Amino acid sequence: MPRTTTVECPGCPPIRVLTFDVLGLVKVVEARAKQGGVPKVVERWGEPDTSRHVLAASINDSKFDPLLAVARKSGVTEVLNPINGDLRGLVPSVCQSDVQPEDDAIVGLHLFKKQISDSSSSSGNIVCSKVDGSENYALFGGKGVEANVWDLDKCTKIWTAKSPPKNSLGIFTPTWFTSATFISKDDHRKFVTGTNNHQVRLYDISAQRRPVMSFDFRETTIKAVAEDLDGQTVYIGNGSGDLASVDMRTGIQYCQHVLT
Amino acid sequence: MAVKRKKSNTGDMIVPCGKEDSNSTEKKSNGKEHLLPSMIKNKEKRSAVHAQLKHQKKLEKRKKAKAREADEKRALEIGEEPPPRKIPRTIENTREFDETICKPDDEELFAGNDGDEFSSILKHESTSKILITTCRFNSTRGPAFISELLSVIPNAHYYKRGTYDLKKIVEYATNKDFTSIIVVHTNRREPDALLVIGLPDGPTAHFKLSKLVLRKDIKVCCCISFIFFQNTNFLHSNSKASYCAHKISPKNHGNPTSHQPELVLTNFTTRLGHRIGRLLSFSSFNVEATIVLYWLWNSTWKDRIRNILSAANTIMLYWLIQSLFPQDPNFRGRQVVTFHNQRDFIFFRHHRYIFESKESKQSDSKATKGKDTKDEKSAQEKTVARLQECGPRFTLKLISLQQGTFDTKGGEYEWVHKPEMDTSRRRFFL
Repeated sequence: MPRTTTVECPGCPPIRVLTFDVLGLVKVVEARAKQGGVPKVVERWGEPDTSRHVLAASINDSKFDPLLAVARKSGVTEVLNPINGDLRGLVPSVCQSDVQPEDDAIVGLHLFKKQISDSSSSSGNIVCSKVDGSENYALFGGKGVEANVWDLDKCTKIWTAKSPPKNSLGIFTPTWFTSATFISKDDHRKFVTGTNNHQVRLYDISAQRRPVMSFDFRETTIKAVAEDLDGQTVYIGNGSGDLASVDMRTGIQYCQHVLT
Repeated sequence: MAVKRKKSNTGDMIVPCGKEDSNSTEKKSNGKEHLLPSMIKNKEKRSAVHAQLKHQKKLEKRKKAKAREADEKRALEIGEEPPPRKIPRTIENTREFDETICKPDDEELFAGNDGDEFSSILKHESTSKILITTCRFNSTRGPAFISELLSVIPNAHYYKRGTYDLKKIVEYATNKDFTSIIVVHTNRREPDALLVIGLPDGPTAHFKLSKLVLRKDIKVCCCISFIFFQNTNFLHSNSKASYCAHKISPKNHGNPTSHQPELVLTNFTTRLGHRIGRLLSFSSFNVEATIVLYWLWNSTWKDRIRNILSAANTIMLYWLIQSLFPQDPNFRGRQVVTFHNQRDFIFFRHHRYIFESKESKQSDSKATKGKDTKDEKSAQEKTVARLQECGPRFTLKLISLQQGTFDTKGGEYEWVHKPEMDTSRRRFFL
């Protein structure tokens, strides 16, 4: 069952997708035709082995030295070349296997160490984190942990979110962020998070601590949020296998794919 | 009278259109283009035309069947090969192509099996311990059903539900080293759903339970004998007749002994089905032998059992053979539990069986002849298995399969049934 997917910038093939799964395999899926076409698994790296279960992955897609870091359940983090899957280096991870870091490859080592110190200071579990494009700011959120933005150079928390007020029925849902992403690579101030309560929220640091916009998406927890290159569209995926793409400025859903 | 005449007139007028002329298909298609019953607005005339059409079709069908039988008889009398029998088109035959059907050479499948939550029990490295409980409401047939489940499933324990939270129950059970939980859910005082939770962090399967028949209600048609190599098909009506081919003795249900039953899982072809099959065997049985039969490409019982008995090379059955053959002597209990999947419904049956060698009638009548007959006798001896149904009988249908222990809100679903999935009658997921 695929766990994480990274989409590369369209190079020679229109869409090239790397998927990682429970068996520790890395598969490259490409769609050749211009209008999409049928994607096919082009390459497969690694041997199927559940101890190499992939927990998280991140890619640094620079033109000179593209790197792909893959964190596996066995505690080992591998750095691969995303074009042909060669192993570039191995990093024995310091943190335990339940913490799931998602970070940029270059800052990978940095963040691992930080992860531990941070989680010890905050109460609750950190479930999701994201580093923005310029790699100066990092965003954390989790169960019982409100969304925070940290400045990586100074290692300080610069902003914390505030949960929305009780709804009309007087029910207060506890905070539980399951996924987060910055809405564009350049701007560290706006980000989108998904919660366990099937809500997707847009926060703006410069505006207010409460979410600027929030809407509901179907009935199960939002498991994945990813931003599009244009800085406006966001893709959301939930626990029942439904995907949608939403324009964050207006909150309108462009399209929805329900798993059948 | 006038009305009747009019009707017959219209009837006469329509037939010459050539609609029912089976000899020339061209005429037929032309006729149909001219006049379909649905084009007639008058209900009486329309229904009359429709009835006539159906009658014509019935006569044609009977004619064809008779012609076929006559051909076969003639061929047998002459000594030639009778013309091959046509295969009827069934929904299972015409199932939509599914890319998730397990293939026999899929190494990822086996690697996944080795590493999944069920592997330690299915490899007999540890024993299973099952906790059975109910929902919070009382039910009429629930306790009887649970007591029967306790007798069928080895090493199962029943605990009253009280008002505990299901998530808490999962925690307690993990602490006490249970390997799975079965929750019998009740609706309107009838057991309605089954929740199977693997532990410690296994998947949660939610099944809809229906057609529950308790042991005391199992009556006449249960003592069945069938020749070992025969097609079994719970839904196809023709085979039902052949299933109960021999004398049905009006005995009552059998009582299960304390031996651990063998498990038979049939027709779980897709990846999802495979996983559910493993979940069912994991949560039910400390199996002595698990027979996992894959209904590959319309193979019959004959082929499958032949494969098992002759230690086939099919990679699909490799681990099953490993578990089967060393344990041959443990077939003492002669009880078998079957989970048969057909059209996404899983049928649960519990039987006691006994093998008998039955000589066919022909050899009996020729017994006086002497040496020649001896060969004939041995050639015509068949191993017959007689079955006696015992234990509950019910059907399950998968509603959802959730990864992790019970968590409807926050859990990730591996598979959940949505109404949008029912696109065609020939599409199945298990």
